[in-house]
Amino acid sequence: MSTAMEAMFAGRIHQDGHALRRTTLRHTNLTDPALGICLWRLGGERFRAAAVAWGPIGGPYKLAVAGEPRNRDLYFSALLPFAADLCKRIRRVAATQVARQRGRHTDYLPADALQIVVPNRTTVAALGLLGRYLAYLSDRGGVAPDPALVEAGKHLRFYARHARVPGQALLVPLDRLLAEHWATLLSPFEQANLAAVDAQIDPPRGVHAFDSGFAAEASARIGPEPTEDIDRITDELLARFNEARGGATEPATIGPLIAPIEAHYRRLVDPVWALMARVVDRERALPAAPSVPRRFEVDREAFGRRVDWVTGGGRYRTTDTPRQAAMTLRRLEEPLARYEAEKAIEDPAAMVPYLLDGEAVRGVVASLNDQYRVRFRVKAVRRAIIALDTDDPVILPLGKKLWWTATAHDHHWEVQDVTANGAGSRITLMLYAAPTPARLPGVGDRITFSVLHTSSDGYRLPPPQNPPWTHTSAAPPAPPEPIDAGDGDPPAAAVDGATLPDPGVYA
Amino acid sequence: MHACPTAAVAFAARVDTNRVLTGTTLEMPFGQSPFAIGRGVAFEALLRRHGHAELRRVLTEGLGVDFSQAGIENLREGYQPNTTGLKLRASVTRSRMAEIIASPAEPVVLDGAVLRADVGGLPAFFEADEMAIGVGGEIVVGENKSWPVVDGRPTDEDALGSALDQAATYVLLGRRTLDDAGVDPDRVSSNAVLVTPRNTGLTAVLHRQNVDGRVRRIERLLSAVPHVADIATSVPADVTFDVAADTSLPEQERVDAFAEVSDRLGRVYEPASCLSSCGFAWACRQCAFATGDPALSGGVVARALPGVVSLSRVAELSHGAPASAVEAPVAGPLARAGRLYDEAVPVPAPRRRRPA
Ligand code: SF4
Repeated sequence: MSTAMEAMFAGRIHQDGHALRRTTLRHTNLTDPALGICLWRLGGERFRAAAVAWGPIGGPYKLAVAGEPRNRDLYFSALLPFAADLCKRIRRVAATQVARQRGRHTDYLPADALQIVVPNRTTVAALGLLGRYLAYLSDRGGVAPDPALVEAGKHLRFYARHARVPGQALLVPLDRLLAEHWATLLSPFEQANLAAVDAQIDPPRGVHAFDSGFAAEASARIGPEPTEDIDRITDELLARFNEARGGATEPATIGPLIAPIEAHYRRLVDPVWALMARVVDRERALPAAPSVPRRFEVDREAFGRRVDWVTGGGRYRTTDTPRQAAMTLRRLEEPLARYEAEKAIEDPAAMVPYLLDGEAVRGVVASLNDQYRVRFRVKAVRRAIIALDTDDPVILPLGKKLWWTATAHDHHWEVQDVTANGAGSRITLMLYAAPTPARLPGVGDRITFSVLHTSSDGYRLPPPQNPPWTHTSAAPPAPPEPIDAGDGDPPAAAVDGATLPDPGVYA
Repeated sequence: MHACPTAAVAFAARVDTNRVLTGTTLEMPFGQSPFAIGRGVAFEALLRRHGHAELRRVLTEGLGVDFSQAGIENLREGYQPNTTGLKLRASVTRSRMAEIIASPAEPVVLDGAVLRADVGGLPAFFEADEMAIGVGGEIVVGENKSWPVVDGRPTDEDALGSALDQAATYVLLGRRTLDDAGVDPDRVSSNAVLVTPRNTGLTAVLHRQNVDGRVRRIERLLSAVPHVADIATSVPADVTFDVAADTSLPEQERVDAFAEVSDRLGRVYEPASCLSSCGFAWACRQCAFATGDPALSGGVVARALPGVVSLSRVAELSHGAPASAVEAPVAGPLARAGRLYDEAVPVPAPRRRRPA
């Protein structure tokens, strides 16, 4: 992040009254239509989705409302249609496979992957927790939980874990998507409110982004964690519902009683659903960056592998072994570096911070010598040397490795010399590979070099199968276990904060 | 704890910042779900039920010291719910800590220990959920939180951070209390305890975490709170939050009155900390916007702009306006950022705007 860039954005947005694009391209795959999920929990209850709305983004949604989500029977019977539908959609998408040729090796991966779009990162975490809960349910009273709940739990857990991979598009939290694509007057802390970000991007005519964002922040409710005003209403409705059902859980009794709670959550979901569709529509209108399909192919591969494994009855560890932890870290680090590189290389707006921070230089090729000879070990080899005239003065250490953005997947160039040149600098760079036409810019071209490249940093040895004792925990990691003990206990009574001397202690 | 003169004056005057702007659009929505509070209350009740049986179990298992016969003194009961009560509880806490450290015969738990601190030169009281004394000759402070831990991980990282900050505050104040009593302050352990439910039920589990780094940060924060006595001498007698708090007045008048008072006192607006803890945050943010204060977008932006007075000026400099001598160090990078951005992002096509 370039601080000058952030300051420039803040100044201009304050002056112009609307958000500014950070990118000229869309760097996240957006399928049409993705599956939208919007969740509301009961306050403080991390595992209880009081309402789940799902359906195609831009289309109608279905709503699962348990009434009393702290009652296991009611909760699971409300979640079942959502779970079954999710499993069906995932299996259907995974069923169509395409062949992929890699050298002489052919593998098969799903032609598509089910993309899930949620309003924010908090919903990603909420889905992960719901997944963890459902994926390893224990039997209760000798009755096994519905397999669709367990399968859906495993899928959700996978999606939430995969969401950590930089640049992935299987589970897209829209607050993150917008924060990546737009600069607003909101601090990172405030960007978690999707409605506020959207309102700064698209303020009503004549309204400043700040005012529009504030109005949205004050009035919009996004979930999954409810605010006090929401749960005051929920509390009243729930009390009436619980009194009327008198302990009953069968659908015939519950059905007629649940309508007011359902209506309450519909009122909450409707604006969020419309907001999600608006955000997706706006971002989809932007052209996709060239590397988007590649990253989605990686997603499809992960999706296909996991679906095979989940539907084959697989079980995840809930804690990583040291070896897994090291591999996970690497799996996250490499895509992050590559994602950042691809973004900046493909998108001129995303390259600006690198130019400002001295990690990239841009200029006009003043001369090119592709017959330059250097002695490499025992023989002389041909290399190319260019002189690049930059607009601004640059400071670069000699020997610094840079990649021309047009060949960022290929060999690097090295800085040979930097001299003052008018208002800017003249940089002499040498290509560290045999000069071929594809590797060489033309004299007069305006080009960019940066530290970013998309080639792998070389083959890395996998961590050893049997790590040394220094990297082995005393006890083996716990196998997955159900976490649902106590989920049938009587729910805690709601307490009005106004009746307590210091309700803040429960924040 | 804010290094902010407006907050410090409000604190000195015992003004509840959450209530001053009640009924205006700038009132902060700090209320909590009754279900969330109910869960917290239920979890605490569970720990105290049957002579604190669950708390004894979790401390015994988590600290490796038998608390089954420990004396548990409940300082939440038998004291008035006011400053007098808090002072008494602080005094009992202080003497118990010193006594038991001097002769650590049996483990003891102070439930609802109260620690006193000077914030900006004024006394303030902090209530720790537990203070377990006699754990290998040490005092361990603990906090109870009702959010669950699953697979050894918190279900809310932000909540974990706040809970550890809270615990670190008690560690710091506990050490100061011992120091004042002439006892080695390091007898308060750096490893604080969090007691939370495990998984989907309410069964308690204990976690220990070193909070040394947080203790140092909180010490810095506390010392950065402006001294109220110093501010008081510079605050004119007519500075008051009364007009802003007067619900009989029109909203604009109240908001203007707040802006005037805070302008005179000075604000140190920082979005993340203000918005999560100060009842004036929306009002201060409004003031920051109105004056074009670079702090509006957060510390990164504000720190990048020494010498530049407002966001409008930032915009001008980004378009290449000539800079003054004080603006010179940042003017170059701003102008370059503006030029490179304009080069990269063509003038946007007119957007479909929502009607007002
Ligand atoms: S919100 Fe305002 S009064 Fe409160 S600490 Fe921040 S700047 Fe100071």
